[in-house]
Amino acid sequence: MLQEVTPKEIFSYDIINMDNVWASYDGKGYVLKDVSLSIKGGINYIIIGPSGSGKTTLLKMMNGLVKPNKGRVRVFSVDVGSNGHFKALMPKIGYIPQNLGLVKNMSVMDNVLMGALHRVSNLRALMKKFPDEEMKSAEEAIKLVGLDDKPDRKVYMLSGGEKRRVAIARAFVQKPSLLLADEIVSELDFVKSREIMDMIHSVKQRMGITMVMVHHDIEIALEYADMIAIMKDGVKVAEFRPSELDKASVTKLFNGHEA
Amino acid sequence: MKPKENLLISLIIAAVIVTSINTGFDPVKFVQGAPNIAVLISEMVQLDSRLLSVAFWSMLETLQMAFLGTVIGAAISIPLSLLAARNLNSKFVYAPVRAMLAGIRTFPSILWALFFIIVVGLGPFAGILAIIMYTIGFMSKLQYESIEAIDPDPVEVVGAIGASKTQLVRYVVLPESAPHLLSQLLYMFEYNVRQTSILGIVGAGGIGFYIIEYIKFFQYGKAMVFMLVVLATVLIIDWISMKIRDRYIVQRQSGK
Repeated sequence: MLQEVTPKEIFSYDIINMDNVWASYDGKGYVLKDVSLSIKGGINYIIIGPSGSGKTTLLKMMNGLVKPNKGRVRVFSVDVGSNGHFKALMPKIGYIPQNLGLVKNMSVMDNVLMGALHRVSNLRALMKKFPDEEMKSAEEAIKLVGLDDKPDRKVYMLSGGEKRRVAIARAFVQKPSLLLADEIVSELDFVKSREIMDMIHSVKQRMGITMVMVHHDIEIALEYADMIAIMKDGVKVAEFRPSELDKASVTKLFNGHEA
Repeated sequence: MKPKENLLISLIIAAVIVTSINTGFDPVKFVQGAPNIAVLISEMVQLDSRLLSVAFWSMLETLQMAFLGTVIGAAISIPLSLLAARNLNSKFVYAPVRAMLAGIRTFPSILWALFFIIVVGLGPFAGILAIIMYTIGFMSKLQYESIEAIDPDPVEVVGAIGASKTQLVRYVVLPESAPHLLSQLLYMFEYNVRQTSILGIVGAGGIGFYIIEYIKFFQYGKAMVFMLVVLATVLIIDWISMKIRDRYIVQRQSGK
């Protein structure tokens, strides 16, 4: 199902700009080396690469969880270094980390409602009394991901695929303009991972969200991306549209040598 | 063996000898006194069953003291441990709170009891206050350590959504650490029952008062009745809390 359509450049402006970004966790070795990229609004941008190539760090740059040592990251034209301004933006950025970040001892419903916390007062949150419209949107999101038969089930009792659905529903309830997802379908089989990807994709289209995803599966990237970046050892080695390269040449780039 | 290890072992042996001499640790004396154990046991087994009802009621008082002390102490230690957790606060908040808690922990409950006897007089109330202080010092430490050990991912994600710190505590921190808190609460109660049993020694109420009085007057058989009641109670509490743990905690922690 290779996409032949060009990226739906609904918005002509860039949502994310990275200029010559360097990142290091210990101040010695660099995890990202001089990475520059820009991501247009409304597209699905997929970052692929072998493990340890800096994909996750790159993603965490986009919501300020990791700050650049050198270079500049701007999201919605706001510098992630400018603390106050960027904090106000964070509710607009959804984030699904690789191990999902769900609260295991709470129910599906509670976890999904957490996506709405930034719109709810402290008092209401403490008493777990969300406004009716928030309850309704959480119920809708749970239905959308197909978990409407178990909203009260505790998350630790769910399967791996179901947990992913909870994390996706939470991200939808947040109503973000930009959604970052890290290896959302890793460890799922062919059919299940397509189910999840189709679900995210249809919601992305409906809500007009910009998506940035990290995957290690080349086929998934070619199927769903509007733009693909390949990372290797902290360097962005390629950036292309899925229609521009076939699987064989992408695999070659991915592995970094002639196959 | 390397010369370094030889030196270390000789140093430890020398230290054991020196400290034994300094503190009067004398195995020979123990062997000489050993027959006294037989005398003691023979007197201890002459149980005075008429004292059982007194023992039962004083044990009940001890249990109530331990219960109050644990519940109130835990209620105070939850907010304190939230302030002492390094993953939730800046250094300027957690450092002074931790220092205060360490200060509270310095004193064993019996010293707290002596302090509160001066303040509120002899009796169970002083004992309860002592248990509260000990519980705060000890349980806050257990709690902030388990709060610091929670999965950082939900904290990161829910924080990134724009939730406030209060919301983060309500939806992520407390639910994630709840099984640990429950298990610590049970442990603390068991521990406090044992502690409260001896607080009577300084006059702070509970079953310890009878134990120390009978021992003072060499009535070991009578003291033994009270000690057996303590033993039985502690065993029963151990068993009950094991059941609660199996039912509510183990299952949750195994589910990832």
